[in-house]
Amino acid sequence: MNAVVEGLTALTDPVAIVGMLIGLLVGTLVGVFPGVTGSMAVALAAGFTLTLEPVQGLAVLLTIYVGANYGDRVPAILVNTPGTPAAIATSLDGYPMAKQGRAGLALVMSSVVTTIGILLSIVLFVLAARPVASFALRFGPAEMFALVIFGLTVMVSISSKSLLKGTLAGIAGLAIATVGRDPITGDARFVFGINDLNSGLPFIAVIIGLFGIAELFDQVLTYRAGKVKPISSLGRWWPQKSEYRQVAKPTAVSSVIGMGVGVVPAAGGDIAGLIGWDRAKRMSKEPEKFGNGSLEGIAGADAAASATLGGALTTTLALGIPGDSVMAVMIGSLIIWGLQPGPSLFSDHPDLIASIAGIMVIATVLSFVISLVRTKGMVRLLDLPNHYLWAAILVFCIVGTYTTSNNLYTVVVMLVAGVVGLAMKRTGFPPGPVVLGLLLGPLAESNLRRALLIDGPSIFLTRPISLTLLALTVLAVVLPVVAHKRRERKAVKEYDDQPPRVGV
Amino acid sequence: MSTADRPEASPAVPAAGDASLAAGGHVPAPASRPIEVLSAVVALGASALLFQFAGEIELRTETGGIDPRWWPRTLGMVGVALSLALLVVALVRSPSARDDVEAATHSGRIRLAIIAVLTFVYLVVWPTAGFVPATALLLVASTAAFGGRGLRALVVVPAVMTGALYLLFSSLLKVPL
Repeated sequence: MNAVVEGLTALTDPVAIVGMLIGLLVGTLVGVFPGVTGSMAVALAAGFTLTLEPVQGLAVLLTIYVGANYGDRVPAILVNTPGTPAAIATSLDGYPMAKQGRAGLALVMSSVVTTIGILLSIVLFVLAARPVASFALRFGPAEMFALVIFGLTVMVSISSKSLLKGTLAGIAGLAIATVGRDPITGDARFVFGINDLNSGLPFIAVIIGLFGIAELFDQVLTYRAGKVKPISSLGRWWPQKSEYRQVAKPTAVSSVIGMGVGVVPAAGGDIAGLIGWDRAKRMSKEPEKFGNGSLEGIAGADAAASATLGGALTTTLALGIPGDSVMAVMIGSLIIWGLQPGPSLFSDHPDLIASIAGIMVIATVLSFVISLVRTKGMVRLLDLPNHYLWAAILVFCIVGTYTTSNNLYTVVVMLVAGVVGLAMKRTGFPPGPVVLGLLLGPLAESNLRRALLIDGPSIFLTRPISLTLLALTVLAVVLPVVAHKRRERKAVKEYDDQPPRVGV
Repeated sequence: MSTADRPEASPAVPAAGDASLAAGGHVPAPASRPIEVLSAVVALGASALLFQFAGEIELRTETGGIDPRWWPRTLGMVGVALSLALLVVALVRSPSARDDVEAATHSGRIRLAIIAVLTFVYLVVWPTAGFVPATALLLVASTAAFGGRGLRALVVVPAVMTGALYLLFSSLLKVPL
């Protein structure tokens, strides 16, 4: 049977359908509750889905991923608090619109452009993923090592204000990945006589700890009673034709921006949303309205943030390098299901790729429909007390982790990772590079050692693909530093040029 | 004018977290040199330990060169170098702003300590008392610690949630709880 037909037929499995409905519900709720991010939810759900078949599990995880992209706009618009980082730019114009009595219009327009952004990005995934994977089949050990280092470097430079701290976090992840058996010789490393450590630290437990428990502990530690009440008067609901025309250009341009950002390893909707918002402002005829309730601002931000999904999926599945933090978590699940993301996935499991594209489209359409009918109920949900949410997350993290191995040792690892994650968050060390280092560590080490044994260090400079990737790695480090220095000089110059203040 | 008086560079677009700042609820944690120094020292210690333990890995066949000790030792060495750089930065430069970190509250610290104890107790009680009573107790105690009060918060919701978890895992997913 044709792989596409086979992949799409797999979606008629009742468990996969129920999985999508559960994912849709969870994803939307996750988005609505500020502080519960998509990465956290997918990490939590990963524990519950490991016993399912890959398509059934992916139906849950991918639908959460999509659903969260709709739900997170609701609190951004109604309470000026982004449900997930991807909705940061939404609040810039969404909340001012809500204060002007146009919350309904903002919510609907946000859903429309989010749908357009995701569907366009899925087209990108369908068209680009296979050629990228075919190209990546040419990669030998030198290229694979250079690719891993490139992905890790981009994540470090994006996720951390301090390059030193980000790199140290990446090294911590790579170091944790060395626990267990050596990938080439099978010698035991850092096992200290503990049997459970022979197979390495359970990475799903570490991921749930770093993304789930650490986030929960941080919220508990810093909670203050909120002062901003949700806006309950939603105003007009449906956009007029002129308003659709007004947002057409920023939606199209920002969707392209989002797809580009999504392809970059580790870059997600938060960055794309802000770039899309800025680009929409620059090309608008009414830039002064941006930040004060501009419909174009909503369109620019949300189309870009949503269009990262297909790009992230392309990078993750075609190269094995996570396109964003949710994908980093999802790679963990795929590995446990025995599916190694990367070029071989396309030749070994072509039907799975069709299933993934199908799940994404169905999840997007369902989320769009739900987003148009559910908003009044969502406003009430925003008033749900935190004690229900926190207690549920705590128990779900513990039980979800336990189910991955039926062993309390895994839960202990998860809790330790949670405490370490909290300390890292409070001291400015990003968790993303730790997870990436942990997942890609064995790949990096085995390929580096093989490459060095084949031809010594010169192999990285004599092969064009590895040389290009290493050059991009250097650029990924240097460019943000140069840009930061430039901004610093500009700010100092502007300050110096100001006329002196008289009498204070 | 001293450089210390000068403004920090401002990005072209609002930085991540600004939106929540605008919400009025965000209280950023103060910049702190001791925290910066301590985190650099911890990173230095961990990297040095990695380097040390990597050298003590027992190999079945000593081949020298690029063996199973080589990669963790390299990581340890790079970690030590970066940690030293971080320590120098922490000692020499003024501590960086922690705008993206919310300041902890006194009640938050107490709640967190209670949750840590409850979780520890849960892990001890679960194997002896069983999943259902241990989980129900954890839910009741943690909801109370998080500020939940009343029959619905402390009885109905924990009971329903425990039952749902048991049904989902034990009955549907066949996980031995």
